[in-house]
Amino acid sequence: MAQAIPKPVQLVDIELTEADIARDKREMERTWRRPKGLWGFLVETDHKVIGLRYIITAFIFFLFGGIEAALMRIQLAFPENHFLNPDRYNQVFTVHGTTMMFLFAVPIVTAMGIYFVPLMIGARDVAFPRLNAYGYFVYLIGGILLYTSFLLNTGPDAGWFSYVPLAGPSYSPGKRVDIWAQMITFTEISGLAGAIVVIGTAFKMRAPGMSLNRIPLFVWAQVVTAFMILFAMPSVMLASGLLASDRLVDTHIFNPAEGGDAILYQHMFWFFGHPEVYIIFIPALGFISPIIIAFARRKIFGYTAMVLSLVATAFIGFGLWVHHMFATPLPQLGESFFTAASMMIAIPTGVQIFCWLATLWGSKLQMRTPLLFVLGFFTIFVIGGLTGLMLASVPLDLQIHDTFFVVAHLHYVLIGGSVFPLFGAFYYWFPKWSGRMLGERLGKWNFWLMFIGFNLVFFPMHQLGLKGMPRRVYTYLPETGWGNLNLLASIGAFILAIGVLVFIVNAISALRAGEVAGDNPWAADSLEWATSSPPPDYNFLYLPTVSGRYALWSQTDKTPIVYGLSTQKRETLVTSVIAANPELRFDVPGTSIWPFMVALATAEAFIVGIFTPWAFPIGAVLAFAALAGWFFADPDHSNKKVIEQTEGHRPATQPKELRAEEA
Amino acid sequence: MSTRRVIDVSELPHHDFDTVDPVWWGNNGLLAIETSMFVILIVTYFYLRQNFTEWPPPIALMTAPLNPLPSLGPGTWNTVLLLFSILPIALADLSSRRGYRAGAQFGLVICLLCGAGAIALRAFEFPAVKFRWDSNSYGSVVWFLLGMHLTHLVTLMSETVLLTIWIFVREFDLKHRLDLTALAIYWYWVVGIWLVVYTVVYWSPRWL
Repeated sequence: MAQAIPKPVQLVDIELTEADIARDKREMERTWRRPKGLWGFLVETDHKVIGLRYIITAFIFFLFGGIEAALMRIQLAFPENHFLNPDRYNQVFTVHGTTMMFLFAVPIVTAMGIYFVPLMIGARDVAFPRLNAYGYFVYLIGGILLYTSFLLNTGPDAGWFSYVPLAGPSYSPGKRVDIWAQMITFTEISGLAGAIVVIGTAFKMRAPGMSLNRIPLFVWAQVVTAFMILFAMPSVMLASGLLASDRLVDTHIFNPAEGGDAILYQHMFWFFGHPEVYIIFIPALGFISPIIIAFARRKIFGYTAMVLSLVATAFIGFGLWVHHMFATPLPQLGESFFTAASMMIAIPTGVQIFCWLATLWGSKLQMRTPLLFVLGFFTIFVIGGLTGLMLASVPLDLQIHDTFFVVAHLHYVLIGGSVFPLFGAFYYWFPKWSGRMLGERLGKWNFWLMFIGFNLVFFPMHQLGLKGMPRRVYTYLPETGWGNLNLLASIGAFILAIGVLVFIVNAISALRAGEVAGDNPWAADSLEWATSSPPPDYNFLYLPTVSGRYALWSQTDKTPIVYGLSTQKRETLVTSVIAANPELRFDVPGTSIWPFMVALATAEAFIVGIFTPWAFPIGAVLAFAALAGWFFADPDHSNKKVIEQTEGHRPATQPKELRAEEA
Repeated sequence: MSTRRVIDVSELPHHDFDTVDPVWWGNNGLLAIETSMFVILIVTYFYLRQNFTEWPPPIALMTAPLNPLPSLGPGTWNTVLLLFSILPIALADLSSRRGYRAGAQFGLVICLLCGAGAIALRAFEFPAVKFRWDSNSYGSVVWFLLGMHLTHLVTLMSETVLLTIWIFVREFDLKHRLDLTALAIYWYWVVGIWLVVYTVVYWSPRWL
């Protein structure tokens, strides 16, 4: 049997009557209908549902992490406070950091990609919907594991990076650190699955005409992040896996008494941990660009420079990890190299900030809430970047290592660099998710409360750090003189918390009675706004084509649509990597229970694996059984009969001799 | 409504080989992840070596010291076997591209035998290390290297079993022919990464 040779894709004019459209719509609704109920929850693979689930779950973890932060601020508000005991305090700060990094920040920014990448590139789903569903379940199980143990007073307590030897078997007996290590494995598996999904989708499923140089910056940011995940996350999986094995079966990788090495753990952790900062930050850069484009009402200044800066940031981001380890005995030459690299990364970031400023400069700004959050990002992130430059210098770092100065710095870059853009993104894309606008008035309150609250909490921490207050102490003496600034920070924390509450109130009231958004409330340029809000299950009735970098702004009634995909079974278009020329009619896998089953097998291995190594062979057998089910299951349960019937609808008129590329 | 300009894609195929199909990207993305894992583990191996004056550390016995270097036998035979397995998997790969079912079936059966043999030989490789995983950090990291590769041998075999069943029992359809070419890439990768692991575990302590 010879390989099927695609005939050239043809550009044609067809008669498309109202009746045709109504029929196609009816059939598409049937074909892409989503399952209902609890069973529906377990078998769902739609990227919008999985993406929103990730976002909502991660937001709930954000609230949990916030509650822990509030507990710490209550404890530290006064000297010699006894609100939390030292043991509980250790668990609270460890679980706070772990939650915010692993259960909130990374999942939520990549989840934005899972929701929006297919919509922005004009596809009907992601390339691997079932892998995507698997990733969510694994993530959810990891989060539940952490919080169950925390509530049972066995929460991890060795800090969010669980350094050995403190986290090793001799200094942390019990199961607390094991729970941390396995939770890391769960979230990293999920992150890696998400990265594969995003790369496959963004490379192969773009609308015809969306060549590499027309990909929206949001999607670029997601792709760059996904590649960083591929190379960074294995390092922490290995670190936590080796740590768990040292603790469970007495290997000696990190045990200096038997030739192991404690510093090695720090290398492995930070080889992941520093890129992690960019894994959180780069998608946020991707939120900022569309918001600026929409509210400055003009094209982005320096698109190519922006994309290259993202890529450069990703590369340099892998050369910085040692600046977290300046306080360890490393060769000075090495330290100088990492100082230089840490300063060098300011260049691509600077290029982007200047490109955004150039875009904003002289434009007629529409001061809506999303833009306010972006401007808040500029302020906060630049301060965080400046303290970053300070910390990159070895002598200064040695002086303020492990003080509140570092706490201040990391919150300025992470909250400024990621949470503010994320809230801007919530305001910007909430209409797409729900069909309703978030209130502007509450939005302004939300922004100003968060902005003022944030600076009140974290700005005094710089000073506290310089005055010598170490991080991770559960209390301090009145004679230190740290009381007033700590009280101020605690007051700020409550203002910040009220700001987040205002957001929740805003979201609930918008869902109930918000202004109806329509397809494109911001008159924005990218393809997610070309479909209804919220989008139908099949995303686009007819897949769009693209004739410029700003898809909707360059669209005319001459812009062709894609025709000839089946309406009887789940199909989307696969296009070439560089030019996005149509290549395949891709069968989108439908609903399936097997991703959930494989997630259960994974959970068995890593949760029971806290107690016995035999959990792993058993998990392997269970996973094999589940994967066999996955392998032999039909690609699309909803339409068994029509799988073989591959004919799409025939165009009504005769084709002209034109190739798609000429469009 | 009236005329609408469209791109007619109804003639396009559903699957195609290599970079055209998203499966290729997913498969190779996973391999990139696994390559990162091995690179970091090998770096770990050499990093830990710095903590030792002799590598592998000497085995002290009452009378005379024993040669601590890993025995070459099982590992070398395994290397030969894995290198040989490239022939049947390449046959299956090529046959699936040409749509030649019998060739793919023959290749896959030989592959299954090779894979089973490699897993069996691995059982002899662990004792050949002469250190247990909990003896010292040298033993730990070597067991991890061999063990992680063993995990891949098992995964590879599981995938091969499933695909072989499909091709014997069900049909030789384009989708599963494509899957077979992806499996072949994984197989080449497992062999290729083994050559690196083999060199590190068995030869680097002899040469360096």
